[in-house]
Amino acid sequence: MSLRRAGLALLRQQGAPLVESLSATTQQAQGAVREAVEGCSRGVSTLAVKQRMKSVGNIQKITKAMKMVAASKMRSATAATENSRGIVQPFLRMLGDMPDTQGAKAVFVPVTSDKGLCGGINSTVCKYTRATVKAVRDGAAAADSGEAAPEMMLVVMGEKGRAQLQRDMRDNIYGTVADTNKVKITFPEASAIAEELLKTEYDTARILYNRFVSAINQKPTIATVLSPDALERAAAEGGAMDSYELEGPDRPEMLMDLAEFQLAATLYNSMMENNCSEQSSRMSAMENSTKNAGEMLGKLTLTYNRTRQASITTELIEIISGATALAG
Amino acid sequence: MLLVPADWRVAGMTYLKYSNLCADMVRAALKEPAKAKAKAREIIYFRQALWKDGQPQKQVITDTTGGSGGKLS
Repeated sequence: MSLRRAGLALLRQQGAPLVESLSATTQQAQGAVREAVEGCSRGVSTLAVKQRMKSVGNIQKITKAMKMVAASKMRSATAATENSRGIVQPFLRMLGDMPDTQGAKAVFVPVTSDKGLCGGINSTVCKYTRATVKAVRDGAAAADSGEAAPEMMLVVMGEKGRAQLQRDMRDNIYGTVADTNKVKITFPEASAIAEELLKTEYDTARILYNRFVSAINQKPTIATVLSPDALERAAAEGGAMDSYELEGPDRPEMLMDLAEFQLAATLYNSMMENNCSEQSSRMSAMENSTKNAGEMLGKLTLTYNRTRQASITTELIEIISGATALAG
Repeated sequence: MLLVPADWRVAGMTYLKYSNLCADMVRAALKEPAKAKAKAREIIYFRQALWKDGQPQKQVITDTTGGSGGKLS
């Protein structure tokens, strides 16, 4: 704007008779400058940047809202998750954790989420599933070369896990479960799913999930649940259970009840932990997204202002050089 | 001691079904404000499909919410 004033001052110096015709010209030029500033006919380059800024701004608002929703869901899920740990700890203390148990039928239960935009937790679980299946297969091959290879079955929980695992482990999938946290994760729901798992008549069941350590830390975990027969064998080999006297004619009965309950309790805990991990992972993913969108918006604003100022300067130079050409 | 399994095991129920039924009965015996909160813990809703030869068979929805999806409104 100061350039325009300087140009007009120059015109006044040069002489009055040209002023009237020149003022008309400057009026026209002023109109043109206004047009450029509003970005209509001459502001094509600024328009593109402005549209991009608008869309990035929208993305920033949406991801910020998603982060807050995930944070509030995580807060309410944390208490219930920590309470659900109390149902699994006694089993770990009494029966111990024996992830290297062999058997004829091995079932793997990767627990994943149904919705996306939750960071890398689902990919981690699927990666661990593939590695664990391979490890159990190799372990069986190394241990007894006399027995047949164990049958590997996958019961995938969550749509995201299904999509990833059906690419290369399609033939191992026994079943899929979805919409588990659509209404509420409850123990009866975990029991219903556990009953379906019991129908596979597994020897070992390995549940892979993300354990909720803190809002920024989710640890991939494998929980191993054995069938009553596998438990007996482990006890005979001197597992933790051997320290307890379990006499009586109803010992096999009791072991069966115990194994069934252990499966449901472990599954319930893993579903709760994975749900909480999903919310916290989504929260940090959306936080990063908001931050990146903000940075992008800052860079675009600088570009926009630079382009805008450059077009105004160009207009003014044209006006002033036109005016000086007419004057001189 | 009895050498036959328990009645419910003979009837074909797993321990999970038996204990969840007992829990349902305990929840039904509660008095009102606690009862509504406890009923919320009884809901089962999930979708499952068994797979054969790498293809999913029919999707089966297990739903005890009576179609309301657990929401009151």
